[in-house]
Amino acid sequence: MSIQQMTSHLSRVGVIMHHSFTQLVRMKVFYFLAFFAVILIASNFFNLPQHEGPEVAGAHVLTSIKSWSLGAMTLFSVVLSIVATALLLPKDVEDRTLYTILAKPVPRIDYLAGKLLGVMSLVFVSLLIMDVLMVAILQLRMNLVLDTQVALAVASGWPAADVENLKKEIISQGPTLSLQGAVFAVFLRSMVIASFALMISTFSTSTLFTTIVSFLIYFIGHFQADARMIYMNQAFGSDDGWLSQSIGLLVALVLPDFQIFNVIDAVVQGKLMPLAVMAELAGMGLFYFGFYLFASWFIFAEKEF
Amino acid sequence: MSEVVPAVEICHLVKDFRTSFKRELLRAVDDVSIRIMPGEVYGLIGPNGSGKSTTMKALLGLVAPTSGRCSIFGKDSLQVDSRNEVGFLPENPYFYKHLSGEETLRFYGKLCGLGGTKLRDRIGELLELVDLVGARHRRIGGYSKGMLQRIGLAQALIQQPRLVILDEPTAGVDPLGSRQIRDLIFKLKEQGITVFLCSHLLEQVQEVCDHVGIIFRGRMVKEGRLEDLIAIEDQTELVLRNASPGLIAEIEALIGKNAGVELVRSGKPRTTLERLFLRETHGEEKTR
Repeated sequence: MSIQQMTSHLSRVGVIMHHSFTQLVRMKVFYFLAFFAVILIASNFFNLPQHEGPEVAGAHVLTSIKSWSLGAMTLFSVVLSIVATALLLPKDVEDRTLYTILAKPVPRIDYLAGKLLGVMSLVFVSLLIMDVLMVAILQLRMNLVLDTQVALAVASGWPAADVENLKKEIISQGPTLSLQGAVFAVFLRSMVIASFALMISTFSTSTLFTTIVSFLIYFIGHFQADARMIYMNQAFGSDDGWLSQSIGLLVALVLPDFQIFNVIDAVVQGKLMPLAVMAELAGMGLFYFGFYLFASWFIFAEKEF
Repeated sequence: MSEVVPAVEICHLVKDFRTSFKRELLRAVDDVSIRIMPGEVYGLIGPNGSGKSTTMKALLGLVAPTSGRCSIFGKDSLQVDSRNEVGFLPENPYFYKHLSGEETLRFYGKLCGLGGTKLRDRIGELLELVDLVGARHRRIGGYSKGMLQRIGLAQALIQQPRLVILDEPTAGVDPLGSRQIRDLIFKLKEQGITVFLCSHLLEQVQEVCDHVGIIFRGRMVKEGRLEDLIAIEDQTELVLRNASPGLIAEIEALIGKNAGVELVRSGKPRTTLERLFLRETHGEEKTR
């Protein structure tokens, strides 16, 4: 493929992506951000059971903010990814706008990629806004907790080294790079489910069917790794053989393993997320994304209208 | 001299579909061949379900032929680059309601690789051509049926195609809107653009088309130059200019002297396209 052809493909994908993004924005999908803001503010007032002493009092609210925010981000991004993807393609077929697009010199892969990237750009912008809100609230709250806790520790006559450790402990519960890694994992997960929904919508004639199947796969995907291991152990006694490895690989290819993107709990607890893990998640996310996009194209290329 | 490449060439097109549940074979198009030369206006007419739209979709690569082939200016219509030269207006088009008329044209223009000043100028030209300058910033959702058809025609013309395919361009449009679309087809014809249209409005087809094909139950039952098709075969028409009554009387007398020759009437002995259509389609039905 020449550079000119590549540029032409990218340009068309960009046009369709921009259009899909505009279409979804004008459908007023960003209204859900208001709900997120409410959840975020409310998370400041949730009282979690405390087992530690008074020296860490106030730090729990930071965990609460992170937990609720990341949970809401996951929920909104997954719902948005599935519903928006399930809606766009059948709507174009029903309204016959697809005819006018495919009657132009637009390869079907460009159309599919543009639509999917349009949804992903919407999810990305949504997550970015939610992330900024979360970080802002978390930073404010962390500063308050830090001031209170440090003052309390100094007043109690803690040694300087212990006060420093306390500071580090509280800062690790605030906005960190690992927290951004968790948001990135949320994005990757929605990317995978959106590409899966796209694949379903290429042969499904109903938005409802695509939505239901995608949600089912999303939930099943969280148990895919467990189910695979149980199957392997039962069928072969061990998972060391080439056959079991091949079957495991096949199952892993067909159904997305969403459990691997589940890094939220660890990050909420303040654990570090190494860059290598982020890179691994990005690799897996892009692999699933590419695989389902390619499968969608394979089905859609033969589809008649 | 190099041979002129047909704008449209459909060779022995057959298209079968399978029904949803019983998976029975349904032949939508049966051995249809059409050849349209550049600059011609070709009308494909037929009742509902006769295979007109399927033929057009096959030409646009929206359905794959079961057998036979379609090409546009010599390029196989299943190839994406064959659509560089085509503009298509589907039946009852619904464009993105959230876009304005201008944004719609910009979207389709960009899909065709246009941009910058060239695209802006082209959008202006087309909005003027289809008389929608006043509605350029209005959302498509607020457009009337006639306006939708006209913006649809404008999007079909955005990349200055050499071939325009119109599927029922005046369906559901009021007489005035219908007339505007007919005038636009005349303008395209003047510009040398090849037009391939299918319509139920036979009078309109008769008015604008050079060539006509009648398709019925998937088969092409009649095809040719409109003038030839609507001529009555066993009658001869003499068109005279400045003929005196005396000359006409002489001709009539001469006719009277020939046994078996009869002067039916003077004027233009033609049937209407509508009569021809009904005769062909009903005649075919009786033979089945």
